[in-house]
Amino acid sequence: MNFKKQLKEGLLTNNPVLSQLLGMCSTMAITTTLFNGIGMGLSVTIILICSNIVISLLRKVIPDKIRIAAYIVIIAGFVTMVDLLLKAFLPALSESLGVFIPLIVVNCIILGRAESYASKNGVLASAVDGLTQGIGYTAALVLMCIIRELLGSGTFGKGVFGADGIRILPSQYPALMIILPVGGFLTLGCLIALTQWVNRKLAAREAAKEAAK
Amino acid sequence: MKNAKYILRLTVTLLLITAVVAGLLGLVNYLTEDKIEALQNEKAESAMREVLEAERYTPLETDAEGVTALYQAGDKGCVVRVSVNGFGGAIDMMVGVDTNRTVTGVSIISHSETASLGANCTREDFRAQFVGASGSLAVTKDGGAIDALTGATVTSRAVTKGVNLALECVKEVLG
Amino acid sequence: MSVFITLFTISLNAILAENFILVKFLGICPFMGVSKKLDTSLGMGLAVIFVMALASAATWAVNEFLLVPLELAYMQTVVFILVIAALVQFVEMFLQKVMPALYQALGIYLPLITTNCAVLGVALLNIQNGYTFLESVVYGITGGIGFTLAIVLFASIRERLEDCDCPKAFKGFPLALIAAGLLALSFMGFSGFKVF
Repeated sequence: MNFKKQLKEGLLTNNPVLSQLLGMCSTMAITTTLFNGIGMGLSVTIILICSNIVISLLRKVIPDKIRIAAYIVIIAGFVTMVDLLLKAFLPALSESLGVFIPLIVVNCIILGRAESYASKNGVLASAVDGLTQGIGYTAALVLMCIIRELLGSGTFGKGVFGADGIRILPSQYPALMIILPVGGFLTLGCLIALTQWVNRKLAAREAAKEAAK
Repeated sequence: MKNAKYILRLTVTLLLITAVVAGLLGLVNYLTEDKIEALQNEKAESAMREVLEAERYTPLETDAEGVTALYQAGDKGCVVRVSVNGFGGAIDMMVGVDTNRTVTGVSIISHSETASLGANCTREDFRAQFVGASGSLAVTKDGGAIDALTGATVTSRAVTKGVNLALECVKEVLG
Repeated sequence: MSVFITLFTISLNAILAENFILVKFLGICPFMGVSKKLDTSLGMGLAVIFVMALASAATWAVNEFLLVPLELAYMQTVVFILVIAALVQFVEMFLQKVMPALYQALGIYLPLITTNCAVLGVALLNIQNGYTFLESVVYGITGGIGFTLAIVLFASIRERLEDCDCPKAFKGFPLALIAAGLLALSFMGFSGFKVF
């Protein structure tokens, strides 16, 4: 039951990117093809689950004063492992994400969850939190990718369904701007506005329900 | 005294965590190292094969402009790896040149050109224009025969320059 | 002379054509977080220039003299983030002792800088681009200047955004992102900009 609530939080009401406004660097930088989005989302999810588990296990051992430093070392360790594994087994992904893989270390989502959740909750709950927040992050990335790829290059699923993906818009129509940095800002701005709107509607509905009781 | 003990505890905890992380990383690195290196070599090799097929490639010394590596491709010619400045950064490319000093193939290893414009320099039809060319090349805008990519003259000029540099380098080596 | 030209090209690129925030997307969190007021954003910018320059120098040295000889290059990320965290802590203590006024002004931003991707980004990019020590430091400083330029420009836009009338859902953050997008659009004009 609790899982369902956490999943809803991760996906919508407390989505790491769209509501908490964390980890925006990678969200805007790499969301040009579906392949990048899924790859980055899964990498972050795995790292988030692992670091949440370890930090939750060690939460009573690590003295308060050095906790941030300790968290950073643990997170950096996991990031480097994922980096090396990707280089060895998924070189295409590692190449297209480039410097943004090591930069997961400073992705505020991971440190943010470590500090605000894993350091205060049990192992199982923290693992679930890592999973749901990771799914929320991945969902936000995938959404960004789909929109930007469709408008910017007119395709769907580049890298996932063949190198060029499935062409939806004829090649002369897409607005190239959307896959350039500008498009990242614009798309994310509109998505966050949409999330705020949906969340407000949901809150209003909850309030109405409460009032009816 | 109590304070010293506390500081000691901080240090030891952090040291332990770092040591464990470093140990684990060493292990992962040990497991993946060979695989990563093999992949990199394979990639470079397949890029060389693409531009000029040969039994084996022997590295040669060179200090020619823009050339980062030069290989003798058996008795068929040379493969030159050049790096030129494109629109968004360095373009790293491999050029095959045969013993008649004509280009046998061009392949782009890495670049940071604008997506959908300059990035089209990796397309087959653009690269194919260089095959069979010799002497000094230029894009049509500069009075040459190479059709520049739509909206990416700077990138096209850069790739053309890379091919010219490779040809010059081979000229020096083969004499 | 050619050294000068290389450094000049690196600087120009770091400030304009490859601006850390608007083109490379590094350091977006502080960019959005502390750009509500002009003077605080300037303070943040100065702190970032300072830390980026120091971090470039320190990580370059650590990589060249420690990681490469020991064949531990794969530990770069872990070591760099530790060096940066230690550096930031040190700068904080140093400022507190020596220049309390500056510490008062920058103090709150310094801890934030540890998790600023622009700082770790510059350290990693220095190594990736194979820069020399001097080039790394120049890249760090000018990258920081680029960061400051973007954040100060953006803060002055954002101060005006506060009063504008727009759809409710866009109020605040989304509108700021769209304004940042337009700023990024104008910086696109610099790409491919070459002097030599």
